[in-house]
Amino acid sequence: MDDRKIQIVIDSLLPLLKAGVAFTIPLTLVSFALGLLLAVATALVRLSSWKVPVLIARFYVWIIRGTPLLVQLFIIFYGLPSVGITLEPFTAAVIGFTLSVGAYGSEIVRAAILSIHKGQWEAAYSVGMTRIQALRRIILPQAARVSVPPLTNSFISLVKDTSLAATITYVEMFRTAQQIAAVTYEPLLVYSEAAVFYLVFCTVLTVLQDYLEKRLSRYSAG
Amino acid sequence: MIRLSGLHKSFGPLQVLKGVDVTLEEGKVLVIIGPSGSGKTTLLRCFNLLEVPDKGGISLGGISLSFDGKRLPQKDVLALRKKTGMVFQSYNLFPNMTALGNVMEGQVTVQKLSKEEARKRALKLLVKVGLADKADSYPHQLSGGQQQRVAIARAMATEPELLLFDEPTSALDPELVGEVLKVIRELASEGMTMVIVTHEMKFAADVADTLIMMDGGVITEQGTPDQVLNHSSNPRTLQFLNRFVDDDRT
Ligand SMILES: Nc1ncnc2c1ncn2[C@@H]1O[C@H](COP(=O)(O)OP(=O)(O)OP(=O)(O)O)[C@@H](O)[C@H]1O
Ligand SMILES: [Mg+2]
Repeated sequence: MDDRKIQIVIDSLLPLLKAGVAFTIPLTLVSFALGLLLAVATALVRLSSWKVPVLIARFYVWIIRGTPLLVQLFIIFYGLPSVGITLEPFTAAVIGFTLSVGAYGSEIVRAAILSIHKGQWEAAYSVGMTRIQALRRIILPQAARVSVPPLTNSFISLVKDTSLAATITYVEMFRTAQQIAAVTYEPLLVYSEAAVFYLVFCTVLTVLQDYLEKRLSRYSAG
Repeated sequence: MIRLSGLHKSFGPLQVLKGVDVTLEEGKVLVIIGPSGSGKTTLLRCFNLLEVPDKGGISLGGISLSFDGKRLPQKDVLALRKKTGMVFQSYNLFPNMTALGNVMEGQVTVQKLSKEEARKRALKLLVKVGLADKADSYPHQLSGGQQQRVAIARAMATEPELLLFDEPTSALDPELVGEVLKVIRELASEGMTMVIVTHEMKFAADVADTLIMMDGGVITEQGTPDQVLNHSSNPRTLQFLNRFVDDDRT
């Protein structure tokens, strides 16, 4: 590598890191947090016996899982203005990613809840708990543990998917890399550098997953 | 007086309870025996409405409910469950809580006692079942017998008027059965009202005030243990009891 290329790599370090920390990470965290709430809510609705809400929840999961995320983002950002709803790129991205995490996550949470032995429900009921109390105190804490690995998967996917926000003019890390590549004519270098940043973020998450799994498995053998 | 009257329960086309009447005085122990599939568990689960009967009535601790196939109001279900505690065949301890946490849980979440108060009471109960030193152990760190004793403490923690046991020792290794039966015997001698489903005939004979034999969803025999176990003339009862004759009577 000649000096010019090394200089380009060094010069783009800070802008990329800044874009990652100031835009990619916040977008990921906000979307995941909201998405997780939506996922739990959707899972609980789907496990309830309310007919209409169950249908709505299934419809929502069906639509989101059955259409490309990129298309959803375009509809939200470029499509909605024609019905009078104009959103900031950040808001549009958060909505798109939240809906996505909520749909995929709801299946994870639902499966995790269903995996808890029915004896746990019965034990909770037998001491006088309501369904809500049983869920909150007994079932969800156990389901949380089961869902950590698949939810970390979703989280990692989300980190990478946020690069799609570049297409709706949100200047996150990937968009920043595009801009640098455009002026330096070194796409291979700059995009590889961006890739390394994504890799670092995802690796940190994997470490976090290990930590969470250990913490939550205090109470189980192995 | 605890009274179940005319209980009917079906699972789809399968009629499991076909008109069961039970009365039990406070402080007494009722033991239910009978062949597999005769409806013992189902009957027991009707006491705390884990199964809601299709027809009949329950009166327990000042609560009277009658069933007609409609959904029961949640508050009636909860009210009845607060009067009862249950010990399951497979323990069903909460794996995410310590032994102490298991015993405190109902007091804190259901009875809304303060943590300190609940802890005090829970520790007393753990002492009572001989597990004071295991308060901070998680269920997976305990033997089956220890888990079941924690489960008994948990069932008693909310101060129920009636304790229900569904084959509390069937999942245990034979050498652990004794420690659990001992705890139940102590409760009986302290005047705890209990309904116990068991296959331990010797234990049943010792602990029961009334013994009920179930078969095919009805009570086929009812009386003192001596009457049912030694003086029955019912062929089905004799046939059932015959299977236990060769058993090592623990
Ligand atoms: N939830 C259920 N759905 C369908 N059938 C059920 C259900 N629970 C019990 N049954 C059936 O009802 C019958 C009585 O079951 P129950 O568990 O009350 O018997 P039991 O006397 O406790 O038997 P065991 O000694 O084997 O425990 C059985 O035929 C069983 O298969
Ligand atoms: Mg049974």
